[in-house]
Amino acid sequence: MNKRTSVFDGLIGNNTVLSSLMVISPVIMCGDTLKNAMAIIYAFSAITFISVIAGSFVPRKLPYAVRIIIYTIISSLVFIPVKFAAQQFFPQVINRIGIYFMLLAVNSLIIVQTEAKFYRMKRGKMIFSLIFYIFGFDAVILIVSFLRELIAHGTIYDRVVDIDTLISGFGLPFGGFIFLGLMCGLYRKIRSVSRHENTGGDSNVSDD
Amino acid sequence: MQKKLKSERFVWLDIMITLITLEIMQFFYYGARAVVLCGICAVVSLITEIICTRLMGRHFTADDLYCISDALIVTLMLPAVIDFKIAGIACVFTVIIKNEFGGRKNMIFSPASVAYVFMLTSWRSQLIMYTEPHVHTGISEKAGNLVSSASHVFNTTGKLNFTDFEILMGNMAGSLSMLLLVVSAVILFFRSDISKGAFVGTITGTLFLACILPMCSNIYDSVKYTFSTNMVLFASVYIISDRRIAPKHNYYAFFYGFFTAVFSYALVAFTQKENMIIIVSLLLTPVALAFRNLEKNIELLEKAEKKGAVTVE
Amino acid sequence: MFLMTEIIVLLTSNLILTQALGTSTLFIAAGNRKNLLGTAFTITLFTMAGSAAAYFISNALPGSAKDFILLFYALSVGILYILFLIVLYFFNKKVFRNAKKYIHLSAFNCAVMGTLFTITNKAEENPQLNNIGSFIIAGIEAGIGFILVSLILMSAYKRLNSKDVPSAFRGFPAMLIYLGIISMAIYALT
Repeated sequence: MNKRTSVFDGLIGNNTVLSSLMVISPVIMCGDTLKNAMAIIYAFSAITFISVIAGSFVPRKLPYAVRIIIYTIISSLVFIPVKFAAQQFFPQVINRIGIYFMLLAVNSLIIVQTEAKFYRMKRGKMIFSLIFYIFGFDAVILIVSFLRELIAHGTIYDRVVDIDTLISGFGLPFGGFIFLGLMCGLYRKIRSVSRHENTGGDSNVSDD
Repeated sequence: MQKKLKSERFVWLDIMITLITLEIMQFFYYGARAVVLCGICAVVSLITEIICTRLMGRHFTADDLYCISDALIVTLMLPAVIDFKIAGIACVFTVIIKNEFGGRKNMIFSPASVAYVFMLTSWRSQLIMYTEPHVHTGISEKAGNLVSSASHVFNTTGKLNFTDFEILMGNMAGSLSMLLLVVSAVILFFRSDISKGAFVGTITGTLFLACILPMCSNIYDSVKYTFSTNMVLFASVYIISDRRIAPKHNYYAFFYGFFTAVFSYALVAFTQKENMIIIVSLLLTPVALAFRNLEKNIELLEKAEKKGAVTVE
Repeated sequence: MFLMTEIIVLLTSNLILTQALGTSTLFIAAGNRKNLLGTAFTITLFTMAGSAAAYFISNALPGSAKDFILLFYALSVGILYILFLIVLYFFNKKVFRNAKKYIHLSAFNCAVMGTLFTITNKAEENPQLNNIGSFIIAGIEAGIGFILVSLILMSAYKRLNSKDVPSAFRGFPAMLIYLGIISMAIYALT
């Protein structure tokens, strides 16, 4: 049971965005439309997956500082073909996303979680865990961008929906901060309730 | 404790009385729509507050009625012709944000200024256009001739063509009666319902800059129009001097009020945008919080010193 | 009045509050209140030195190699990171031992890299800004902006972690919303 939990952790139990607040800049800035979200999902998933897997082959004997630099260089190299492919799939969105596309190469999952979590696992388990961490991010940005696009722009994937009062502020960066904060609280509430139920109403509820 | 609770409820009652008086004046100028707007905001805030307190596992008490005075403050800053839905959404948003920080026990931002700035960022055009006073718009009617506020005219041209009597009675688009505001301020000040330090600080700061950097050709007009436009006096009383937000000690509260006034005056002078004082009050909340932290640290140090002295004795 | 203008400029061009750059780093650092300011000052050093490096890289790279700019920026920050560790080692070994596992957080993050890209983009749009002085000043401004946000967060730290805040919102979610409201006020200013 524990093993299952640890592999699926990144999706729900320890979500990249909602639990640890990692990689939140693209969610706040670009997560206002589904089109942006799709491009971010593609870039984040590709860069993170390939970089973390490639980084796992870096010898552990190297000093910590050198290893971190090598991880960043690997992700910067991975970024180049990912960008070329993105220009084919999402030609208009790439310009709108701007620097956030490049910044995905220095995301916290690569810089922080590699040493803290992934490279402490066996490779097979690491790959599964990594996939679920990536799915966790993808799911959050999809939900956030869907709701923000609907509330702020009155559209779903650029198709107009009949809503007469739009809250355009939710499409702006501050709206992203507030929306993500509210979602984060909701996620924690649901998590604590489910943990409470799973432990048969034990008092060991997370108070974070 | 009981005494403190009682005094808090009297504060709320005093504030409500002054706000209702201002609301009656709005009814006189803008008709029943102003009152309906006020009612909608109050009811929506109250319902949201009840739901939030239940969700937080608390019981709704008379102390939670502060949400109604906050709703009234918001209403008085809005044009009477604003879409009711917008005002309702802003009230829901504000109450949720307030309760997310812990509600009345842990106030961080002034709810009224959060609501106003939220509306400003999402529906700016609806928020800055008013009907002329004495133009009564029906409850379900759409307003016809909308005009810019007196604040906008003053900020962009540096002059206003209103008599002193009109200013005192608030007979200008987007302004409240100066006379009523002054009376409210005096009552709330002497009954200690507002932070005295913050109020004096705001007034001093505004007065100081209105004299040394006048917005119009003569100092008298500069002072007069500065206080009667841009919600300066209204915000000084109900937002900046809110005892829940301002530092407790008058000394620190004075500087908080002073900084807010100076900063907002400078912004109005530079950007010519109206009602900057409300945005600045929100922006300078961290300053108020920092002062509050400082007060707490000083209190703790004093307690520790006293304890040390007793132990030595 | 000059001070006022500078504060307004710092707020309205703040990379965290207006572009959400470095928010993850801010929250990681905010796990410990004492670390927060230290991280902010270290980031300022990296944005300042990194901006100088970015000036030389962006001007030296030919147009056809612009896709490699991220790689070169990452390399330059990596070199700065090593240099910083060496200086810290000789300056104070105890601090070095305590801080060496965290300094990479201040070096490789969206705040530093985002600053470099933002400055480069601005210089491309406005050639007058394409000089070493402008790059360094912009780097310092970005760092000071980060310090400012750290101070804003620190002032509310106790209240955002208070037991009065509902447990689901206590800490990070409350911090996000708090920064969101400040960011909203800044948006209303502009």
